[in-house]
Amino acid sequence: MGKPAKEGNTLAKWPTGRPFGSSPLMPAVTVILALAIFVLDSITRLEIAVAVFYVAVVLLSQSFCGRRGVLATAFACVALTILSYIITRNGSFKAGIINSIISIAAIGATTYLALKIEAARVAAQKAQEQLAHIARVTTLGELAASIAHEVNQPLGAIAANGNAAINWLIAQPPNLGEVKQSVTQMVDDANRASEIVARVRRLAKRTPHQNELVDINSTIQEVARLMRSDLDRKGIALRTQLSPDLPVVEGDRVELQQVLLNLIVNSAESLDAGGVGTSREIFIRSAKHDSRNICVSVADSGGGFDPDKLDRLFDAFHTTKSHGMGMGLTISRSIIEAHGGYIKATPNVPAGALVQFFVPFTQRTA
Amino acid sequence: MMTRVSEQEPVIFVVDDDASVRRALDNLLRSKGFRVQAFASVEEYRESELPDAPACMVLDVRMPGQSGLEFQREINESGPQIPIIFITGHGDIPMSVGAMKAGAIEFLTKPFSDQDLVGAIHIGLEKDRARRRDNEVLTTLRARYETLTAREREVMASVVVGKMNKQIAADVNLSEISVKVHRGQVMRKMRASSLAELVRIADKLGVSSPL
Repeated sequence: MGKPAKEGNTLAKWPTGRPFGSSPLMPAVTVILALAIFVLDSITRLEIAVAVFYVAVVLLSQSFCGRRGVLATAFACVALTILSYIITRNGSFKAGIINSIISIAAIGATTYLALKIEAARVAAQKAQEQLAHIARVTTLGELAASIAHEVNQPLGAIAANGNAAINWLIAQPPNLGEVKQSVTQMVDDANRASEIVARVRRLAKRTPHQNELVDINSTIQEVARLMRSDLDRKGIALRTQLSPDLPVVEGDRVELQQVLLNLIVNSAESLDAGGVGTSREIFIRSAKHDSRNICVSVADSGGGFDPDKLDRLFDAFHTTKSHGMGMGLTISRSIIEAHGGYIKATPNVPAGALVQFFVPFTQRTA
Repeated sequence: MMTRVSEQEPVIFVVDDDASVRRALDNLLRSKGFRVQAFASVEEYRESELPDAPACMVLDVRMPGQSGLEFQREINESGPQIPIIFITGHGDIPMSVGAMKAGAIEFLTKPFSDQDLVGAIHIGLEKDRARRRDNEVLTTLRARYETLTAREREVMASVVVGKMNKQIAADVNLSEISVKVHRGQVMRKMRASSLAELVRIADKLGVSSPL
């Protein structure tokens, strides 16, 4: 797995939840370990309490399966302990019973702790989702004017086409061909408007983490579309260079959109604060980075970051802006990490900021 | 169905980067009986061959590339002004004031009624027709002025500032009779029926006294 260019300080690190990029070997390792312990426990004398090491199995299981999985693993370990006791031929049976009871007690205690950890992690993840949702809604609020404009465009077109249809109808003789065309366009425009509304609703809704196949390019385009009029008003051009036929990413489309939204809003704000660059432009690129990851970069020629503070950039409550909570990049990082990827920020050449995130792609097709 | 368009039939240029809005405006204006040419961008408009006819432009203010206001400034500076009707999704006051000051016909905020748009277009076309008429008159006058000899031009410049034949004769070293002949030629060639008309013509042409 890729490593971030610079490891932020771990204290302020965001709880990342269970990464679904977690190694697929974990369950296999756990099973092999359990079997090894079972074999060792069975062939050694009863006085030797190898079964205590089942606690490692329980702890390992906690890293890849939920509450039920941990409980099932714990029961399996207890069963294996008892089975070993039964099939072990040599040694003192009395010592064996005591050792087994100690092992089972250890497994029980560890299971309790593992479940506690699991519960804490679920709670943290929920809190994170909640905060991400709040941040998303806040950003949407800032973009309200832009979104309204985006909805207004097709509505205006519908009104104009409707008026045109009336005119074609009352013409002498009525031009039915043009009427039909006008109405067809109205239907198209209405669909477009409701699509935009649906898109905004998806962003505003609070949904638990989805695991779907996401087309990065269309995700970028959707966000660009929502932000376009806001950027136009600020006199900022948004340029994209999207590599065609990118493989899809497994993850949550809305969360990835949120990351893009954050990065573009950041860039726009730094450009607005008076960048040194001559071009007021945000440049988004998507490309296959290596055999594992897709790279998406958002570059601007704005104020950029203070190089000394580069490693604190992703920390919670670290902000260079006069307003804002300083959660945008923190949330972005946690989202990208939950997708098994990483995010990094570097100064752009000749000026401004370059933020890149890398997410693993999958061979499955959407 | 429309008859074959003549060169003189007015044309409306629609410039909007949003394809569906562009199509809708095109449709609406055509249904009102206008001839329409639609462009996705100012660049596309500039690169196209445009008909020689009274025209008026319906322009979206905020477009990537070059904004409508910038474009307005540019065409104000270079060559004939085409009357512009601005439409915008979210216009603010400074923007509309700027556009109106720079000579826009109307500043429409979406959603606008088609009467408003058509009304503005009529005003715009009228303005453009007047401009074209003025242009035409000026071209004819220039052509007539071109037929004058150097001496006649001299005499004309003096006549229109109110000099009497006697004074002119002295100024240009001619007999009063010759001045009268030249003056008659000027009146005939410029097709002016009175001195007052000649003065107005001179005004339009910007002919000034040689002194």
